[in-house]
Amino acid sequence: MESSSNEFLRGTLKTIVLKLLHERGRMYGYEITQDVKERTNGEITLTFGALYPVLHKLEQEGLLVTQSEEADGRLRKYYSLTPIGTETAYQKASEFERFVEAMRILLAPVPSQGLSMA
Amino acid sequence: MKKLTPQQLATLHSHLIGNGSNDALMGELLDHLACEVEIYLWKGYNFELALEKISEEANVKAIQYLRQNYQHELAMTETQLQEATLDDIVFEFRNKAYGAYDLRQSYQNTLRTALFMGIGLFLMLIALSGGLIAKQWSFSSPLMLLWFLGSSCVAYGAWNWYLKNMQEKVQMG
Repeated sequence: MESSSNEFLRGTLKTIVLKLLHERGRMYGYEITQDVKERTNGEITLTFGALYPVLHKLEQEGLLVTQSEEADGRLRKYYSLTPIGTETAYQKASEFERFVEAMRILLAPVPSQGLSMA
Repeated sequence: MKKLTPQQLATLHSHLIGNGSNDALMGELLDHLACEVEIYLWKGYNFELALEKISEEANVKAIQYLRQNYQHELAMTETQLQEATLDDIVFEFRNKAYGAYDLRQSYQNTLRTALFMGIGLFLMLIALSGGLIAKQWSFSSPLMLLWFLGSSCVAYGAWNWYLKNMQEKVQMG
C-alpha cells in the first residue's frame, strides 16, 4: 500500500498543499503533514522527504511566500499563498476533480460487457 | 505540551548534520523533528527513547531521499543554466550566505586591486631608495618617472577598492 499510494501522491502533492494553504491561510511544514494525516485518517501520510522539496519549489515559482518566526527556541517557517498561488489553487483543484471524475468512469464496472456475454 | 530544552535541540541538530542534511532545509527539518519529538514526549516517552524513534524515521536514507528529491525539484532550468556562472553551479545547493560564495564572486576584483597596489608600492619603493642613494630629487630623472608610475598604480588600486566597498554598502542598504 505504502509504495502505491506514494506513486499517486507524487502528482497530487502540489494540489494538496495549495488546497490546504488556501483553507488555512498560513501553515508550517509539520502542521501540513499532521493535517493531511488527520483528515484522511492516516490513509495519506506525507513524509518530510516529499513535502519540503515541493514547498520550496512552489516558493521558487512564486506561488507561496514564507515568514520565519521563532517558536520554542527554533525557527519556524510559515507558508502562505500569493495571489497567483490562490489562482493556481483553484485551477489545480478543479483540474483534479475532473481527473478523479474521469478515473471513476474508467474504474467503474462495465455493464455492457455482461450483456454481450449473454 | 512539553518543550524541548536548548540542549535537546542541539542534540537533534547534530543528528541532522550527521545524516547529511541540506543547508537550505536545516532550519525547517529541525523544527519538524522537534515537533515529532514533542509528540513522543507528550505520549510519555523520555527524550532518549524519542530520539531513537526519530532516528529510525529520519535516518541517512530518508535524508538522502530528501536531498535527491530536493535537487530534482529545484534544479536550474535550461535557460538558467545557460546564464549561470561556474560559481552559481558549484553553489547551487550549498550555503551561499556562509561567505565562500561572496569571496569567489569578488575574487577578480580583489586580485586586480592587489596587483596594482603591489606593483605600485614596489615601484615607489625603488624610486625612493634610488633617490635616497643619489641624495637628490630632480623632476627630469627616470626615478621620478618610476615614482609617478608607482603612485598612479597605487591610486588606481585604492580607487578600485573604494568603489567596491561603496557598491557593497549600496547593496546592503
